[in-house]
Amino acid sequence: MENDVLSKIPMFSSLQPDTRLAISRCAFTRQLAPGYTLLIEGMPAEHGYFLISGEARALRMNPEGRVQVLARFSNGDPINLISLLSKDKANRATIETLSEVTVLVLSASDFHRLINRFPDFSALLLHQLATRLAKMTDLAADLSLYAVRARLARFLIELADLKPSPAGWTQDEIAAHIGTVRDVVGRLLRDFEAAGLIQRQGGQITLQNRDQLAAVAQEQDL
Amino acid sequence: MADPITPSINLSLCNHCTLCAVLCPEDALTMREQGPVFNIPLTCTYCLECEGLCPTGAIRAPLTVTWGAQSESINLS
Repeated sequence: MENDVLSKIPMFSSLQPDTRLAISRCAFTRQLAPGYTLLIEGMPAEHGYFLISGEARALRMNPEGRVQVLARFSNGDPINLISLLSKDKANRATIETLSEVTVLVLSASDFHRLINRFPDFSALLLHQLATRLAKMTDLAADLSLYAVRARLARFLIELADLKPSPAGWTQDEIAAHIGTVRDVVGRLLRDFEAAGLIQRQGGQITLQNRDQLAAVAQEQDL
Repeated sequence: MADPITPSINLSLCNHCTLCAVLCPEDALTMREQGPVFNIPLTCTYCLECEGLCPTGAIRAPLTVTWGAQSESINLS
C-alpha cells in the first residue's frame, strides 16, 4: 500500500517513519457503500479499521429492534479497537456506514504485532482508547442522570454547533442517539416548538433561544 | 443542505402497502404503479407521519438543525 494513504489519517502524523512504513506494508484500504454493515456485534473481531473518509456509527440493538447509537466515527477515528484488545476478541457493537466510506484495514494479527513492536503505535492507541472511554462515560452519565428532554435539548445544541450532516437526521436517528424512541422525539419537538425554544419549517429546525435550551439540557431525571 | 421540502422516497424499498397514501393527513401522496408520489400542487406539510408509518423504511424525512439569528447573539459567558 502507498505510504501516502497514511497521511490521510491525521493522528498517524505523530508516528515514527519506521512505524508508518510497517503499517503501510501490512494495511490495505476498502471502499464501502452507505448503509453497509461492516461489523456485527458478537462476531469474532478479525480486523481493526481506521476511517480515512466518510462517516460510520457503532450501535447496539435489543431483541425488539430498539437501537442505541454508541459512537459516531469520522476522519481518522479507529474502529473496533476495544474489541481487538478485549479478552474475548468479539465485536462489541455493530458498525454501519452512514455515507460512502474508505477505511484502512489491519488484520488482528498485524494489529497485535504492530502494538508489540512499535511503542509509538501503542501509545497512540492508548490515547484513542482513553478518548473513547471518556466518551462512553459521558454517554452512560447522560443516559442515567438526565431526562430525555434534557438529552434532546443537548443533542439539538450539538447538531446546531456542528457542520450540518449532508444527510440530515431523521427522528429515528435522533432517538437512537439519545436513548429513546421516535414517538417521544416527535412529541418533545412539538413541546419545544410550543414553548418557543425551536421553530420548525419543513425539515428545518431553527433553535431560537440558546439560554433556555441550555437550561433544559441540564434538567435531571427524577 | 437545502431545506427538505418533502420526505424522500426510495422506491426500491417500497412494498406498495399504501399506508402512507391512505393515512397522510394532507392527502399529499398518491399511490402509483411505481410507488407513492407527492401530489402537485404540493400540500405536504412535512409532518413526518408517512416516515413513521412506512414499514420498510422507504420514506426518509431528514431534519437539519441550525441556530436562529437571534440566538447567535446570546453570549453564554
